[in-house]
Amino acid sequence: MQHMQITGWGKAVPDRVVTNAELAEKFDIDEEWIESRCGIRERRWVRDGETTASLAVDAGRAALEHAGLTADDIAHLVVATATPEQPSPATSAFVQHELGVAGSAHDVNAECSGFMYGLVHAYALMRVDPRPILLIGTDTHSLTANPEDRDLGILVGDGAGAVVLTPGESDWVLGWDLGAEGRWTSSLQAVCGGSRMPPSKEAIDEGLHYAKINGNEIYLNAVRLSVATARRTLDNAGVEVEDLALVIPHQANIRIINSIASHAGLDPDRVFTNLERYGNTASASIPIALDEAVGEGRIQQGDLIMLMGFGAGMTWGSMVLRWGGESKEAA
Amino acid sequence: MTLTLSEFLAQIEAVSGATDVDPDAALVEISDIDSMDMMEWLYSFQSEHPEVGADPDIFENEDGSTTLRIVHDRLVKVAAAAA
Repeated sequence: MQHMQITGWGKAVPDRVVTNAELAEKFDIDEEWIESRCGIRERRWVRDGETTASLAVDAGRAALEHAGLTADDIAHLVVATATPEQPSPATSAFVQHELGVAGSAHDVNAECSGFMYGLVHAYALMRVDPRPILLIGTDTHSLTANPEDRDLGILVGDGAGAVVLTPGESDWVLGWDLGAEGRWTSSLQAVCGGSRMPPSKEAIDEGLHYAKINGNEIYLNAVRLSVATARRTLDNAGVEVEDLALVIPHQANIRIINSIASHAGLDPDRVFTNLERYGNTASASIPIALDEAVGEGRIQQGDLIMLMGFGAGMTWGSMVLRWGGESKEAA
Repeated sequence: MTLTLSEFLAQIEAVSGATDVDPDAALVEISDIDSMDMMEWLYSFQSEHPEVGADPDIFENEDGSTTLRIVHDRLVKVAAAAA
């Protein structure tokens, strides 16, 4: 049996830094209020010419380099995004072409849970075709938020994060959980641009192509669903919460993260956050945080870690991994 | 579910860190309490009293005049209807 292991990781963020001071002036609000509201101090937004795919390509290259592989080695490319390069074809097609990936390419859209969905897809794919997979989470929500929308504007950041997944004898994945509750589609949505409401001048004039958030619903559901998925995955993995060396949650809002940690019984010192520097980068937030957590030495060989995300839909996903895989010493 | 107004205020204060909250002040005028504090309280309340079926509607504040006393009144009504 070939198992899935993570052998490369990388990230790419735009170099344009958007500070709270800049947004405070733009939205005529208090700079400190922004940080108290969400814990974000600055975020990265794309410039003209930077796109969802271009960020994905940069992150993918970094992950491939770290893994010591080339694009020719990749059998399958999975791109998780909710802000595609264009409506058609899939963003993965652009990324595949630019990177020169030899194998298949497809997108996954589960909003901010996209990376977790992609990771479980990859885990399943690895079982039927044990060859290297490149999984990239990438989003540019600065382009989908209404420039006049303060509530979303202070939250969103752009970026991409990638992992290279390769087959191996040692099993890294101990448990996982995915789910969705489609009755909450209105919590965060852009209603114009699809078959339900094709683009029209009238709709665009009304700004219906922009994403709109119901913050109360998101908060409540994010906490409820994240706590539940964490418990299910820990149970599936046969792991106690105290055994986790690190939890990497979706970097949405520090107050949501703190609430999830509190209600799920997570040790706050073992919850990784970097949203203060990047904002909510959606599908990219978990792989960006993973890249930084490993880079900062927060994850060591043999550590039990949990990745967990939630997103519009609403969707959620989580996974418990043994970093480096199960060994006789670690098992 | 029997949550008095004073108990409700104490729980909101515990969640938000606010002190001496005026139950008759409009929510929008209470700077130490924001919508996420209210949702945090609601999450705990829902977890403790799932039978009540309280949802974010109890904080509805379209005209900006909702107070914590009004929220508590709504909560009591929801709980009574669910009983």
